[in-house]
Amino acid sequence: MAKIACRQLTKKYGNVTAIDRLDLEIRDTEFMVLLGPSGCGKTTTLNVIAGLEEVTEGDVYFDDTLMTYVPPHKREVAMVFQSYALYPQKTVFENIAFALRLRKVHDAEVRQLVQGAAEQLEITHLLERRPSELSGGQRQRVALGRAIVRKPSAFLMDEPLSNLDAALRVTMRALIKRLHRTMRTTFVYVTHDQAEAMTMADRIVVMRDGVIQQLGTPHEIYHRPRNLFVASFLGSPQINLVDGRLEAHEGGGSFVRGGWRVPLADARLANQSGREVVLGVRPEDLRVGGSDLEAAAELVSPLGSEQYVNACVDDVELVLRVDKDVTVSTGDRLPLGLDPRRLHVFDKQTGEALSGQPEP
Amino acid sequence: MSGAARRPMLPVIGRSALLMFMSFIFVFYVGGPVYWLFKTSIEPEAQVAAVPPNWIPQDPTLFNFEAIISAGNEVTYETRRQGDPATGRFMPTGAKYLLPALWNSFSVGVAVAILNVLLSATAAYAIALIHFRGRRFTLYTILVTRVIPDIALIVPLFLLLRNFGLINTKAALITTYLAITVPFTIFILINYFQSVPRELYKAARIDGCSHLGVLRHVYLPLAMPAVVASLMFAFLTSWNEFLFALMLTQNIQAQTLPIIISGFALDFTVSFSFLNAAGVIAIVPPVVLAILFERYIVSGLTAGAVKG
Repeated sequence: MAKIACRQLTKKYGNVTAIDRLDLEIRDTEFMVLLGPSGCGKTTTLNVIAGLEEVTEGDVYFDDTLMTYVPPHKREVAMVFQSYALYPQKTVFENIAFALRLRKVHDAEVRQLVQGAAEQLEITHLLERRPSELSGGQRQRVALGRAIVRKPSAFLMDEPLSNLDAALRVTMRALIKRLHRTMRTTFVYVTHDQAEAMTMADRIVVMRDGVIQQLGTPHEIYHRPRNLFVASFLGSPQINLVDGRLEAHEGGGSFVRGGWRVPLADARLANQSGREVVLGVRPEDLRVGGSDLEAAAELVSPLGSEQYVNACVDDVELVLRVDKDVTVSTGDRLPLGLDPRRLHVFDKQTGEALSGQPEP
Repeated sequence: MSGAARRPMLPVIGRSALLMFMSFIFVFYVGGPVYWLFKTSIEPEAQVAAVPPNWIPQDPTLFNFEAIISAGNEVTYETRRQGDPATGRFMPTGAKYLLPALWNSFSVGVAVAILNVLLSATAAYAIALIHFRGRRFTLYTILVTRVIPDIALIVPLFLLLRNFGLINTKAALITTYLAITVPFTIFILINYFQSVPRELYKAARIDGCSHLGVLRHVYLPLAMPAVVASLMFAFLTSWNEFLFALMLTQNIQAQTLPIIISGFALDFTVSFSFLNAAGVIAIVPPVVLAILFERYIVSGLTAGAVKG
């Protein structure tokens, strides 16, 4: 168990800055997810926490102890890799036992601990095999076993599910979440998959180009994105973004574009008339039935549980998430309703959020 | 059955016949001299130069081996004719040094093989895995030393080793041979180490290995084919080396087999059967080693480490 703190962390590879003055505090026993597109510095951050990369500047603390210059084998963290990284010459048992053997743990205890971890991961029948004889899912379980057998102070995971197929990923997600609950250890989990981040995290850090964009609970990140990048990175299908400007009128402000006139709830926007903004509307927040806009359905994609409809309002294409029972066909005119409290307004120049959705 | 589906037999037979023929020529080319060496080592001197030559020994005997191994110290200019007075063969004057030289060659070879792997593995690990400043420069410097021909280094080496008082010692040979084998071995091992997925390095560090631990528990076991190849390479280089041994050793304290055996051919009279018996003795240890280690030289040890 450990609290992990990064202070003014900078990592450069030659001229490329992978992490830029990053400040991050990970609470004890928290499940923290680092989320971002590839090359955003999330894996580098994880490697720095593990001690596998030296920092250019800044410091890493575990429980207020300076760890920046402590080599990885003395940090007592465990790590799971995307590629599993099992020792091919060792059996599954020896793979899991390796860290214990290095610590000169007594043979009977090793046997007991490995057996315990294997039972937890349901791989007891595989212990005598070699990694080359295992499937991808089994290998990832062994990699998890290698990490949990040690009772580490922090559990680091670098896209552990990216090489698995979709169905297996959902099972493993639940397994990892359960592990977090039973182990009561700090988890730091790197992924580019928003579904993994949303379902597993206590808190999410969204990163881009080595800089933290937003830090918060999955709910905060999704419902109150701090900028355009965060708003469009999370959510599937993506949030609808429409350029326009603000206009003040009696009783508040509105978003205006051509025929659009959308009233906004946030009073702070009322006195910023003329400002160039981007309006963000999540597909599920566009209600069919209402009188704010009228759209023409262009494309209907049924998913079984729901359906996505691409529809046009003037020259703007919007994606709507529509209930499975509603019958929509191409060419239909759809009256749309908008909830003013569920709209996001971003500054066009800076991309920063001007209003978010208030706390529900 | 359509005509197009039938396999034309004649070209197939012709091709295998050609391949067989070429293989035979190749085997004869490579193996012929070795066979002649072996054949003449088990026949009396008189048959070595028989005309027409016989391909199969007429009456095989181990006498040549017995004679040169048991030559002992009594071989002098006066007694050397005693080797086999009947056929007039002459015991080489160096025969009494054969066994000490065999030991010298073997001990130097084993020392070079082991030290070579220890030095090269640590160096290759550092260059392959640790991103230290001056890494490229180090690598190129190591490789460039191998571009210089050995003959150019002989005089400086001789003077240097003389200053250290190492002339005529096995240590002189061992250090010199290491200078030849280490750069090559580093180069081979770097490539091998870099082919091991880097995640394994990370996993081992996280599991609690120091750098030396990673090398010992992960990289050396996985690089076993390359390590065994390096052991063989270093041993053979040392075993066969002639030029440096000739310059750096002057008596049986440290003289190796190639020096002693070459001496067999420098007597007033040369007996091919004795010379070739010594030659067979010289090729036995490397062949035995090769057979012993052959099973380690297999590839595909990293299968299953990472995805794909």
